[in-house]
Amino acid sequence: MPLLDDLLGVLLRGLSGVLSPRTIRNLRSELRSSVLAKIGIVLIVVVLLMATFAPLVAPWNPTSQNTSEAREPPLGFSRVENQTTQQTVDGEVQIINEQVQVNATAAHPLGTDGLGRDMLSRVIYGARTSLLVGLLGTMLAMVIGVPVGLVSGYYKGRVDDTLMRIADVSLAFPSLVLAIALVGLFGQASVPVPDPFVTFGVAEVIRGAMSLPGGLTYPTGMPETFTLPGTVIVVVGVVNWVWFARVARGEALGVREEEYVKAAKSIGGSDGFIIRRHVLPNSLTPILVLGTIQVAAIVLLESALSFLGFSGTTLSWGFDIAQGRQYQTTAWWIAAMPGLAIVFTVIGINLVGDWLRDALDPGIEGEGGGV
Amino acid sequence: MARDLLRVENLSTRFFTGEGQVNAVESVNFDVREGEILGIVGESGSGKSVTALSLVDLVESPGRITAGQVWLRNPDLAEEFPEAADGSFVDLRELPNGVRRSLRGPTFSMIFQDPMSSFNPSITVGEQIAEAVEVQRRATANPRSTRSRTQGYGLASYLVDGLAPGRDYTDEASHERAVELLEQVGIPDPAERADEYPHEFSGGMLQRAMIAQALAGEPDLLVADEPTTALDVTIQAQILELLREIQTERDMSIVLITHDLGVIARMCDRVGVMYAGEIVERGTLEDVFDDPIHPYTQGLIGSIPDLDDPAPRLQPIEGNVPSLLDSEMGERCYFANRCPKAMQECLQPPGEREAGGEEHAARCVLVDREYDELDALPDNYFGSGGERG
Repeated sequence: MPLLDDLLGVLLRGLSGVLSPRTIRNLRSELRSSVLAKIGIVLIVVVLLMATFAPLVAPWNPTSQNTSEAREPPLGFSRVENQTTQQTVDGEVQIINEQVQVNATAAHPLGTDGLGRDMLSRVIYGARTSLLVGLLGTMLAMVIGVPVGLVSGYYKGRVDDTLMRIADVSLAFPSLVLAIALVGLFGQASVPVPDPFVTFGVAEVIRGAMSLPGGLTYPTGMPETFTLPGTVIVVVGVVNWVWFARVARGEALGVREEEYVKAAKSIGGSDGFIIRRHVLPNSLTPILVLGTIQVAAIVLLESALSFLGFSGTTLSWGFDIAQGRQYQTTAWWIAAMPGLAIVFTVIGINLVGDWLRDALDPGIEGEGGGV
Repeated sequence: MARDLLRVENLSTRFFTGEGQVNAVESVNFDVREGEILGIVGESGSGKSVTALSLVDLVESPGRITAGQVWLRNPDLAEEFPEAADGSFVDLRELPNGVRRSLRGPTFSMIFQDPMSSFNPSITVGEQIAEAVEVQRRATANPRSTRSRTQGYGLASYLVDGLAPGRDYTDEASHERAVELLEQVGIPDPAERADEYPHEFSGGMLQRAMIAQALAGEPDLLVADEPTTALDVTIQAQILELLREIQTERDMSIVLITHDLGVIARMCDRVGVMYAGEIVERGTLEDVFDDPIHPYTQGLIGSIPDLDDPAPRLQPIEGNVPSLLDSEMGERCYFANRCPKAMQECLQPPGEREAGGEEHAARCVLVDREYDELDALPDNYFGSGGERG
């Protein structure tokens, strides 16, 4: 895929201020030799684009219901429905039971859910929730965990013991149970964020200029706000900080013994200076690799939470799976489509994580919290 | 006679390890004068490096300075901390941590054995030297403020860094100073080299850069811990020459730690010979080299090849450096089991004895008496003679 290589080359060059030339070289050569990494990047890029431009690419408003189109199957499938009609024949009321075949329509390529909402649009909007929670939650976990780990590993001794025992305790607690407890404790703080594409009218213009297959026009009137599940982000961050603390501590324990740390002390550097300038930059690689794996773990945790009804938003893959459960036997796609979206996203993130790991540091093995 | 800059009295540094207590430095006495080069020589494991680290207060856990004083001439601090002062000297061990740290850089600086690992591989050399300049600038700008104590790395800066990761720590002036320092230590094209990473430097160049970094704080005392060990011979000579140059130029003191008697002979004004954590003999270069008293010093000098008298065999000291584990050391002269002149009296700790001359002293009974074969310990006194070869 030469085009992909070129695009990534540009992207990586843009990062050259942050990454060393050697790192970029490693990333490129590892990418060239790994098909899986390319697949992972394609998956991630697709999901990212979907999430970002949801109001432009989603064919329908994901929340608009239309019961007359409920449970339409995805393209290539059909559904048989028992229909009961009353007919008056010769003055008598007859009840007719007949089987009606419901066919897929091009307007809803992934079918519709129990309330007639377009599955494709819901999957596209669900990507926003998952990725936002995944990325922000990972960042929060990093912001909590990395300093704790660095301080713990740098100072060793009693500081280390105390912080790591706290980490052990929160690790021993099942993360899903903790998450549920925290959501229960703090409630569901959902923040409605105005959708920039809709607010500035971009969505209207672009959607008006496009048309759907089957001669339909692209419907306008997309959701004006997007619900950011605040509590869930805080909860996944608080649940997953331990992984970052552990990895950062391990790295700091090694780096603190380096001669250049001693040299930095001998010129009068303060502890804050040494941790920030010497320990953190040299601990960063495994932390970043862990970060990618954690995004995947947190996407899964978010799905689990919204499946259980703790998310505070109704535009989420986990929520849709829960909705689809009651139609499992008659309309499998309601649960299956968001399920597939989760699978592809998590696989994509993990493949990218593997690529980063192989390229940045062949010596480290994958480690990460799961649900 | 030049004034003393530093007086070390009865300094003991111990390591508390799982196997037991290790007496790495044992009641060491010496002083460093202004503008002199003091050499400390000894075998591997004799406690030289730990002595150096103890001076700059960088002994790491499980190690600890357990006894003794390090007196530094600093009238200002002596006034500020009268309880730690003796005349214009202050005992470093009595000073608060923050004050001790503030001395690193402007008072002490250290260069290490392996220049390759003494630079952070992920930051350019120039930037690291500029940091050393910057650290001092920030620390001295306003010594009592928090911002100065954290050197701009308090909690707030972490948050700012998170939002703007590209923020530079050092400014233009520090960078210019770094280039200037690189030039002073003889690095060609200092402006270009400053932007290179440590792996782009050769070992000798890095050691020069290391010296430049150590000079950033304008130290009064430079502790050089085996600065030439990792370098090849021609580069060694250049680095030693450079050290000498900057020493005379800035009239600073250097404590030069090495296992190479040649380096000592070429560089130092005075010498201390270390063995098993103790300074067994000290004095001026002439006293120690021309008139060694301690059999260990004699042995060290005897094991140097002599160009004028190419004898076919050198005279090595038999055996190995003893274990420094407290439980195995016992109370005697620690050299007795390898000493060709060991006597009954050597089973007592010898103590330091003045040997005439200017400050010539040794921890050996031979200072006061002659070797007497009648008193000699039997050959296999310390076990089956394995240790004596």
